[in-house]
Amino acid sequence: MTWQDELADADRRRALTREMGGPERVARQKSQGKLTARERLDGLFDPGSFHEIGDLSGYAEYGDDGALERLTASSVLFGRGLIDGRLAIASANDFTVRAPDAAGLRKSNAAERTALAMRVPLVRMVDGFGGSVRTLEAIGRTYVPDNPGWEHILANLAAVPVVALGLGTIAGLHTARLVASHYSVMVRGVSHMFMAGPPVLARMGKTYTKEELGGADLQAKAGAVDDVVDSEAEAFERTRRFLSFLPPSVHELPPRAEPRDDPGRRDEWLLDAIPRNRRRVYDPRRVVAALVDNGDFFEVGRAFGGSVITGLARFNGWPAALMASNPHVYGGGWTAEAAQKVARFVDFADTFHLPVVNLVDIPGFVIGQEAEMAGTVRHGARALSAVYQTRSPWCSVILRKAFGVAGAGHTDHSRVQHRYAWPSADWGSMPMEGGIEAAYRAEIDAAPDRAAKVAEIEARLNRVRSPLRTAEYFLVEEMIDPRDTRRVLCTFADMTAKLRQAGPTSFGPRP
Amino acid sequence: MPSVTVTSDIRAIVLEVAASPGQSVVAGQDLVVLESMKMEIPVAAPTAGIVSEVLVAAGDEVDEGRAVATLEVPGA
Repeated sequence: MTWQDELADADRRRALTREMGGPERVARQKSQGKLTARERLDGLFDPGSFHEIGDLSGYAEYGDDGALERLTASSVLFGRGLIDGRLAIASANDFTVRAPDAAGLRKSNAAERTALAMRVPLVRMVDGFGGSVRTLEAIGRTYVPDNPGWEHILANLAAVPVVALGLGTIAGLHTARLVASHYSVMVRGVSHMFMAGPPVLARMGKTYTKEELGGADLQAKAGAVDDVVDSEAEAFERTRRFLSFLPPSVHELPPRAEPRDDPGRRDEWLLDAIPRNRRRVYDPRRVVAALVDNGDFFEVGRAFGGSVITGLARFNGWPAALMASNPHVYGGGWTAEAAQKVARFVDFADTFHLPVVNLVDIPGFVIGQEAEMAGTVRHGARALSAVYQTRSPWCSVILRKAFGVAGAGHTDHSRVQHRYAWPSADWGSMPMEGGIEAAYRAEIDAAPDRAAKVAEIEARLNRVRSPLRTAEYFLVEEMIDPRDTRRVLCTFADMTAKLRQAGPTSFGPRP
Repeated sequence: MPSVTVTSDIRAIVLEVAASPGQSVVAGQDLVVLESMKMEIPVAAPTAGIVSEVLVAAGDEVDEGRAVATLEVPGA
């Protein structure tokens, strides 16, 4: 019983830190519809698996006799636990704690560094708005600003899957901690994010609610975060699903799931999916669902750059990154935002060794003065560069259009192609409909009936437009029955699995 | 009855108005058809309801986020 007193003291201190910011502040947190930091960690990890690291840390106050009078918990909690049976690290800001924090930054950095060292995923649960000018008076000086911990955050982006959950009002450095992740989620109505909040803007004569300035839907549409959910429980569920497709770190390969769907399954509807009328749209998400294992597609970033759909799926059990054009948004044409989305997604797939499946229907870049003013070509060139730099196995299925520079960006043409065309395929340097007038001006000007002449030229061109003529010259590898697409994609995943290479990429993705 | 505002996701020209005030629509039914990138792109009702207003006419230019119609949604 030599050390019994010390152990009893440690237990007493642990009990104090478990009270977080005290009953009043905890009640206030819950009245705002928010879970506490400890409930969040318990909700994320498999039941009973959370193991806290640093459970004695906090702000202590001692009496004149040296006896501990108070111990207020640290505002950062972290530890390890299991997510669907796999080890992960998570950190959580405790917004109920307002005492000085002797340990917070060290713990926050330790969480980041532990994930890196252990080569396991990191989940960052962010809730807080950082600094106040009141601090300056308390410390009696100012300081040159730095971004504490950014070096660890950046290292993790290149090394382990990082999920960040926005679970409160987030400002200051915490905003950057939220978005510097591979997958970020905000909870609708509960989470807000801004670089400076409504009180700061009110002083500049601009009045906003938190929702108007930095609501979850606004930030997802802006592409600052990836997704919006309706509850914290849903945020944890999406975290689990996201991580299920990924390896624990870049040093391993994405885990194959037990295949539970017939790789040869043919969905009859696919033959009718693309309308003959080229001006008519179709439902790209229904096409995706018909192709992936069990119709299970985990879409990421739906609200941003909508002309491209991105997400995770499996083919015969192999995890894959899937992109699909969405004709409902600019006909699938690439906007500046869509190009940013493609570049980030392709870099992400490369980092975690996911093969890429690209379902292509790209009429080109979206054109017009607004597109020029948005710098579409700059973002587009970055997206093309990501496509050409990736080492991920790559398979393109051209469902309909592939036109111009953006259409050509469906693949790195210099690689050996895994490429299939549907019979509805339609491609070229530019769409005929726009080019006839310019290319045949003299012939049209000389004609007595201009409209009839344009129609006649169009009919001539349509005869050479068949993708079968392209295939004669081996300018496309194969035309397939759309119903066989799942089979070829599963074969692609099977064949290229051994080409995936574990290890770090030459540089990590930037947020 | 609560009201739902239906917006355009894209910058486009209105090709056709496919619903009129007072009309009952089902979820997914086209309210307006836009033209962009030479495609006919429908804006569909996100939910069943009764069209209260159509805010655009054929030939109008719409921007991203522009309201094109409002629906009254019974019992929502």
